[in-house]
Amino acid sequence: MSKLKQPFGFAIFKAAPLLLLIFGSNALFANDVEKGEKLYRQCAGCHQVGPGASHAFGPQLNGVMERVAAKVEGYDFSSAFTDAMAPDVKWNASSLSAFLESPMTNIPGTKMAFPGVKSEDDRASIIAYLAAVDVDGKLATTAEAAISADESNTEKQPRVLAADVEIPTHGVFHLGRVALAEEVAAWDIDVRPDGEGLPKGSGDAVAGGIIYDAQCAACHGDFGEGTGRWPVLAGGLGTLTDERPEKTIGSYWPYLSTVYDYVRRAMPFGNARSLSDDDVYSVTAYLMYLNDLVDEDFELTSDNFVEFRLPNEENFITDNRSEEPYFSGAVEPCMTDCIPGVATVSQRARVLDVTPDQN
Amino acid sequence: MTDFDNDPKPIKTTANELNKDVIKNTVSRRSAIKSGLALMGGTAIAASTGKIANANTPDPLITEVQDWNRYLGDGVDARPYGMPSQFEKDAVRRDVAWLTADAKSSVNFTPLHKLEGVITPNGLCFERHHGGIAEINPTDHRLMINGLVDTPLVFTLEDLKRFPRENKVYFLECAANSGMEWRGAQLNGCQFTHGMVHNVMYTGVPLKYLLAEAGVKTAGKWVLPEGGDASHMTRSIPLEKCLDDCLVATHMNGEALRPEQGYPMRLVVPGWEGNMWVKWLRRIEIGDKPWHQREETSKYTDLLEDGLARRFTWVMDVKSVITNPSPQAPINHGKGHTVLSGLAWSGHGKVKRVDVSIDGGRNWKPARLDGPSWSRSVHRFYYDFNWDGSEMFLQSRAVDEFGHVQPTKDALRAERGVNSIYHNNSIQTWHIKPDGSAENVEVS
Repeated sequence: MSKLKQPFGFAIFKAAPLLLLIFGSNALFANDVEKGEKLYRQCAGCHQVGPGASHAFGPQLNGVMERVAAKVEGYDFSSAFTDAMAPDVKWNASSLSAFLESPMTNIPGTKMAFPGVKSEDDRASIIAYLAAVDVDGKLATTAEAAISADESNTEKQPRVLAADVEIPTHGVFHLGRVALAEEVAAWDIDVRPDGEGLPKGSGDAVAGGIIYDAQCAACHGDFGEGTGRWPVLAGGLGTLTDERPEKTIGSYWPYLSTVYDYVRRAMPFGNARSLSDDDVYSVTAYLMYLNDLVDEDFELTSDNFVEFRLPNEENFITDNRSEEPYFSGAVEPCMTDCIPGVATVSQRARVLDVTPDQN
Repeated sequence: MTDFDNDPKPIKTTANELNKDVIKNTVSRRSAIKSGLALMGGTAIAASTGKIANANTPDPLITEVQDWNRYLGDGVDARPYGMPSQFEKDAVRRDVAWLTADAKSSVNFTPLHKLEGVITPNGLCFERHHGGIAEINPTDHRLMINGLVDTPLVFTLEDLKRFPRENKVYFLECAANSGMEWRGAQLNGCQFTHGMVHNVMYTGVPLKYLLAEAGVKTAGKWVLPEGGDASHMTRSIPLEKCLDDCLVATHMNGEALRPEQGYPMRLVVPGWEGNMWVKWLRRIEIGDKPWHQREETSKYTDLLEDGLARRFTWVMDVKSVITNPSPQAPINHGKGHTVLSGLAWSGHGKVKRVDVSIDGGRNWKPARLDGPSWSRSVHRFYYDFNWDGSEMFLQSRAVDEFGHVQPTKDALRAERGVNSIYHNNSIQTWHIKPDGSAENVEVS
């Protein structure tokens, strides 16, 4: 992670009627708020919003544009953050946008281990959404009304005569239409262990490390060790027979292709499909490095990909549950005097008491 | 993302503290008559207070006119989509927050102890998401079939509704249901130990019709369904299963799928683990080999004690649980006649029989199966008996039509160890105490 020494200076504006300042028309405003709400979901894991929102890893953000940025009751900001912010300063659209572009470089030491939102438009949408949420977590009524007005504005199509419909020639029922090659290519992103489906490209562990630190480490830890209950990605070699096995890419996963496939289809969590194919090669190479499978200068390419085997591949077997004795079905289960003596408790749920409170 | 492989450490107890006589199931005709007379004589235990109520005092709920007897209620338009009574607020899905890292990749549980019959109401079907609930306008949804087919195709929801469709009731059980119990009794309530199962009537198109429409090439052996949510869920399924009984469902229990169950369309894979029932289904690919996706390698593989791991463990084995009484549903009426109730299911077919034990597996009696008996659907069982008020160790044991017998916890652990996470179909024990309360225990 590169760190800028330069302090992050915020101009102090008064948080004026932002909504009107930024957005000319209701429809434009609604689009931005609606888009911002969707984009905001990547933030919601740490920052709650809405009625009853409370502080989580980050402070709750109800009415964030109207409050003092670095002083929120019940939330313990990092000293880096409080030092960077003037005591009474409030966020405004431009200061928040500048911060969100890259929180960790703007305020080194902030708890906000988030790579930032690179698109200025996306930042504007997120800020429009946050500005529309009041201190009680309610979306401003004008915004809601504008969204629903936008949704109801659908065009009425004239009905087509049934006899004019052309019936396709394929198949049995002649239903659906032929998928275009571009459409198949857009969705068919799966990769198999034999390399089928791998896109042309390459990436090295160094580049992967930069992407990983910015986009993965907040959940998976700096070294793949996992934070909280997020998945551990590295280490654990030789632990599969331990009392507490650690199932990681290196210790458990059978195929490298699964790493590439899964990162490409589902990661980063909350921003899926945002990495380029080469980025995914880089991140995969870095995860191999974190698992001590390759050196730091390793480059993974579509040509050398299938050469690599993960250590645990041979330890997967097909389903053989039917060989377990009670599967035979040959013996009628015992009905009387099946176990000698009276039953005694050997384990109790109440001892552990992990049942959620139901009141 | 996170699954249930980080369950907290169990704490072992020494066992003999509650060693008491188990009661006998047989109650003499005379004592049955006596207890009946006692009730008629006007005594009953009030659940909340434990006091004996005296029925010689007229009940004001009968002798006085109540508000709801006098005043008008809501008219027809007050509830355009009807919801349960305000007095049923406890009948809701619940989660176990410590299980997973984030609610968007988490699970909650069906309140089995609040339900009767065999159909799970749509709003109570447990949820398991890997990237949150995708909210998809059906006009924006597409289903693609590609890979080893003659003609790759794209269907809309409207196209799908023009195929012949079927109505079938199937259970869906998460492979990790009861996964927290491998190391010992952990959670107090069948909702938490067994609540990752639901049973729904699906309306859907047999997948074989969609595959035939595209024309599967002879090399095609495997099928990869993919979801349209932010996790792009994928699993490899053998073609034979898809040609056998899989559906692409659009409706559940008569209405459109709920968003949390994959609206506008989901895959139905009868008898097989819930993770394969891909929600928000947007693509079906045909291939000649399995894809070894994340959810069939890193997850949903069963680690055994020797370090080997089983993969492609698709079928959900024969299983049952007593839902009433159970820790969330204690016996509140004192001794006397009572109805024990529970659910049984098997991914292999129909449930043939369920046995019930009240003495921790020493002696078993056949329970009464009631309601429809469909293959790969949940079955309801009852056991009617007189409780004499002494402690019980309740167990149920299901046997399916192929003779598969639900194993004990010890039998399963002896074969697999305790790190399998998935496919724990072992016999559950509820300890019913003399005050009627219930606890999740294991007995020896």
